[in-house]
Amino acid sequence: MPLMDRKNFITRLASVSLIPLGVSGFRGFESGRESGNFVLPPVLQPGDVVGISSPSGYILQKGILSAAHQLQEWGYKLKIGHTIGKRHYTFGGNDEERLKDFQNMLDDPEVKAILCARGGYGLVRIIDRIDFSKFIRNPKWIIGFSDITVLHSHINSKFRIATIHSKMCNSFPDAWDTATEIQKETILSIRDVLAGKKVEYTAGYHPANRKGYAKGVLVGGNLRTIENLAGTDSEIDTEGKILFVEDVGEYLYSIDRMFWNLKRSGKLSRLKGLIVGGFRIKPEEDPDSAFGMTLEEIVMEKVKEFDYPVCFNFPVGHQRDNFALVCGAEYELHVKESGTLLTKV
Amino acid sequence: METERVQDCIHLLQEWGYRVKVGKTVGGNSQTYFSGSDEERLADIQDMLDNEEVKAILCARGGYGLGRIIYKINFKKFKKSPKWIIGFSDNTVFHAYIPGRLKIATIHGPMAAAFSDEDKENAYLLSLKKLLSGKKTAYRVPSYDYNVTGTCTGELVGGNLALIAHLCGTPADVQTKGKILFLEDIGEYLYNIDRMLYQLKHSGKFDHLAGLILGGFSDIKDTTRPFGKDILGLLQDIFKEYQFPICYHFPISHERENFPVVVGGQYELKVGKKEVVLKIRNLE
Repeated sequence: MPLMDRKNFITRLASVSLIPLGVSGFRGFESGRESGNFVLPPVLQPGDVVGISSPSGYILQKGILSAAHQLQEWGYKLKIGHTIGKRHYTFGGNDEERLKDFQNMLDDPEVKAILCARGGYGLVRIIDRIDFSKFIRNPKWIIGFSDITVLHSHINSKFRIATIHSKMCNSFPDAWDTATEIQKETILSIRDVLAGKKVEYTAGYHPANRKGYAKGVLVGGNLRTIENLAGTDSEIDTEGKILFVEDVGEYLYSIDRMFWNLKRSGKLSRLKGLIVGGFRIKPEEDPDSAFGMTLEEIVMEKVKEFDYPVCFNFPVGHQRDNFALVCGAEYELHVKESGTLLTKV
Repeated sequence: METERVQDCIHLLQEWGYRVKVGKTVGGNSQTYFSGSDEERLADIQDMLDNEEVKAILCARGGYGLGRIIYKINFKKFKKSPKWIIGFSDNTVFHAYIPGRLKIATIHGPMAAAFSDEDKENAYLLSLKKLLSGKKTAYRVPSYDYNVTGTCTGELVGGNLALIAHLCGTPADVQTKGKILFLEDIGEYLYNIDRMLYQLKHSGKFDHLAGLILGGFSDIKDTTRPFGKDILGLLQDIFKEYQFPICYHFPISHERENFPVVVGGQYELKVGKKEVVLKIRNLE
């Protein structure tokens, strides 16, 4: 077979074999491990490069210093994106700049993980223009939460590649020595997850919990962002999963409305388990407008006809105790009388 | 909603020659956010829907709560003998659910608070009177140079942006293909308006529109870190890629300027250089 033909033949083969993979979910990557048919990007090794980019809100250069210092302490090299220190109003650069920086991090084979500098708002403005083709072939860790939920939902649901839901640069303590235990623990949980360590988190007893055991792939993130993706190409797929949600600064009525959206868009009916993280609720200014239901009542009302375990006050959210979770990895959830245990399988 | 606040509304409806049945949820002694418990609100709307004497239901106000009970409402009698349901804001849930799922038209228009003895001759209220008496309406408003000119016809759908976004992915999701969409909102942050419009865009709701009517976006707020555009700039940025006729600042809003429109009705929208005309084509 002449060289030219062979090349064409190989190209043809490649495209033939890629199509069914694309349809049924991606598997069998050169270096990724699988978990419940999700691909886990490779564990980070000392000397690997971590990229820092800000695809949502703007951050000052000094805002990433403590994170940069810690990552270096952990043995990683850094690649600082040009969105760091860039500002376009509330955004970390205009849409083109944020897109370009993130795309560059995704496509650079040296970069093994991308730590988003902070949340804010901005990812839905560019999500449909990000080219994930290289990322799909060579998955790497995407790290962040809040607005970064857009990436978790999009990547987990469309490509079945795992991502890390955790604190970002703006939550690293300024000085390690004076940091509180919980600050250190939560930041170190990012290191542990990147290094592929088996992690286990606990939450205390909560009277509204529904006891039970579940084993399944974990997905989730910021509730408002999850609702905002309903009906779009980036919509979260919760079927057969353990779902976690968190939010901050929302009124109870708004939380109620968002849980109705989850329920009516079918996201609560086939869960393995539900984890409710932190919800710092915005109080109604007018006491006569009290919503009349608690967060726990709002949630349980929507899931009362199901029997999967539900736990409240889990240490994930816009708060100090926000531990790193791997969206797309398998976990065991034990909601017991004494408290909740979440263990990565 | 307090009874005193619906008095002007009752008077004016009586002046128009109608008799008024006031529901139990009006003037209730509710201590919560809602005008009554879910059961009380459901019983009241069900009673109004099933009562053959009642020919139209005017929602006293918006707020939040219809989404909690919409799937518990029994529309069986209403389907056999449809009647007008009038309101806006949270009542967008009706405008999405009833025309979308039951194929019965509703009226997006002024509620009790818009009725006042001092301002009873305004075009918005008079248009509601006209619609209720079965007459066709045509609204003519000045055009703006940034409107996208053109003429289209189609079914009118829409309402409050936050509610339309909230219904995405649910069985009451608004279908917009080949239709004229109208949107309005109040009190939202710019970034949140942007986020909701991206949700509509990414769920394909702008792809096959016949035309777009942007109503009032009042009391829009900005965050400490500014969004970088005002509401007009934000809207123009979202819609710059589309070719269908677009009209900005149409008087459908949370303000006094709120023309009643028939959701599910067939309309003609003419966006000219000087004038915008929105004309209903049928009324049955």
